[in-house]
Amino acid sequence: MSEGALPTDDAVLRVDDLQKSFGGLAATDHATFAVERGTITGLIGPNGAGKSTLFNLISGFYEPDGGTVEVNGTDVTGMEPYQVADHGLIRTFQTPRKLEGMTVREAMLVGPRKQPGESFLRLFASPGTVGESESANLADAERILEEFEIDHLAAQPATDISGGQMKLVELARAMLAEPEVLLLDEPVAGVNPTLAKKLKSQIRRLNEQGTTFLLIEHDMEFVMDLADPIVVLDQGHVLTEGTPEGVRSDDRVIDAYLGGGT
Amino acid sequence: MSALTDPKGAIAELTRPEGWVLGVSVAFLLFLLAALLTGALGPTYFLFLVGLAGMYALLSFGLNAQWGFTGLINFSVAAFFGIGAYGSALMTASGSPIAGGFNPLVGLVVALVVALVLALLIGIPTLRLRADYLAIASLGLAEVMRLIVLNERWLTNGSAGVRGIPGFFSGWPVLSTFPETMPGLRLEVIPGSPVILETAFWRASLNVLLVLAFAGTVYYVLRRAHRSPWGRVLRTIRSDEDLARALGKNTYSFKMQSFVLGSLIMALAGVFYTHLNLYVGPGDLDPITTFYAWVAVILGGSGSNRGALFGGIVIVTIREGTRFLNDVALPIDPAPLRLLLIGVVIVAVMRYRPQGILPPQRELIWPSAVDGRGTPETPDSGVREQKGGGGDE
Repeated sequence: MSEGALPTDDAVLRVDDLQKSFGGLAATDHATFAVERGTITGLIGPNGAGKSTLFNLISGFYEPDGGTVEVNGTDVTGMEPYQVADHGLIRTFQTPRKLEGMTVREAMLVGPRKQPGESFLRLFASPGTVGESESANLADAERILEEFEIDHLAAQPATDISGGQMKLVELARAMLAEPEVLLLDEPVAGVNPTLAKKLKSQIRRLNEQGTTFLLIEHDMEFVMDLADPIVVLDQGHVLTEGTPEGVRSDDRVIDAYLGGGT
Repeated sequence: MSALTDPKGAIAELTRPEGWVLGVSVAFLLFLLAALLTGALGPTYFLFLVGLAGMYALLSFGLNAQWGFTGLINFSVAAFFGIGAYGSALMTASGSPIAGGFNPLVGLVVALVVALVLALLIGIPTLRLRADYLAIASLGLAEVMRLIVLNERWLTNGSAGVRGIPGFFSGWPVLSTFPETMPGLRLEVIPGSPVILETAFWRASLNVLLVLAFAGTVYYVLRRAHRSPWGRVLRTIRSDEDLARALGKNTYSFKMQSFVLGSLIMALAGVFYTHLNLYVGPGDLDPITTFYAWVAVILGGSGSNRGALFGGIVIVTIREGTRFLNDVALPIDPAPLRLLLIGVVIVAVMRYRPQGILPPQRELIWPSAVDGRGTPETPDSGVREQKGGGGDE
């Protein structure tokens, strides 16, 4: 438990005393942790530990009952998801829905934030600017598809590709939004081992290029190999955090997973 | 490649349904031409039908901008249509119980502003919620509007409707007197069945000009919008709103823009209808108009502008074409047959071509961005058509 426990000032995401209840159930119970810039932080916990709720609270999809979320030093608590995204926090979903009637290339082009062509008036007032930004985004999209080695899918209907390929496209698209911190909700759930390996190497590559990750994952082998530090959630609060080795040998973690102890 | 410089190449590029629609349209036009020349179809009535087709095309465009692009379920097409119709009628008609007598351009502006306000009023509370709430609220709005028009006699004349509506071009230079100044023409292409063109014909042709201008402008705007990043966000919302939100799109604002745009187009259809029909009554707000617009959009292919255009024309053909069945001795009255026929068409389309007859096809990327790259690998035939024609048979 070396770096994880050390308080530093370079946290890209800081969750402080976050609370959320549904009816009488405290899904998130005074959760506090931080994601340091440049890390791949893992978020694990048994089923029902509140991982997805926490993601929804951080990304603005749920409004917390108490506590704060800070992205890049800005308090984003209670903001709309699009505003949180504007501060550099992008998230993916456990089960991405497919974009009907779009090719993979078009689905990718939804990624870039604040496109001039997203303003209805500018489509007619300054079509030149719209065209330039669209050209640039198209070039970026194709470059990233190439880096992900899925450029052969570009012209495929987004509804026709496999679930695993969709996860890769999602990750690629999220990169077009230029996130400072990217929240991945079970990136390899239901993905075959070959594609999972590919996803892992891509995440690692992007991390080396400067993107910070926070990921929920049930595949222990995957998360222990990729993430450091790891935050363990149980019944809505942070049970412990630390290196993969530290977490793996922590009795409380084993108890939480096996349902013993509490 | 332009269809004008290379018609053969343009035809070869068509997908099967496109070719089919083209063929049927050409045959239909020839049939109409024959009917016109033989005198079976009066030219003035024909132009009225073209105007009506344009009106339905506008309604379908409006609904397409809401449902086809964004997935917004609006059951108050008739209400926005009625606001356009009544807004313009009440401002311009000599028989208007309120203001009246204004230039039709004033009527147009007033109608659009009222439609805008109403769209905002209904959109603000519902567009933050799930899709079903807009559906329910719009259903209510349609009925409220219909009842207001029927019962608030001081405002709308109630069930008597509004009469004395001028043509759209009244008060304009040249165009206002154009029909009267044109000479009467007598054409005799087929000996023995002369076609006579008089003032009423020229008046009707002005209306056609007007609806072509309205529909042409709207089509141009929607086409550009559909291919833009703006349209792409709407299409993303249609499939997965949460995804759009997570990627930093203010989906509430986008849905509102789409809803307002569609509502304005529907009101525009109403404004045109007022000056085409020269009378509006509470019956024009009946839910059947909403139903027709939905049929047109689903039939043509949700999300497709040309599909909406095609659907609008099909609706008018069925609606008005069945009138001619009066001439044929039938065991039942043709009026119910009309709805039956529309029902059969819907069932057939849903069964054999659920995506509609002309679904949005080509990859929708801002044209100049694609052209700049020299495009050889962008798919020319559609996204759906590419799957080896799987669902097309």
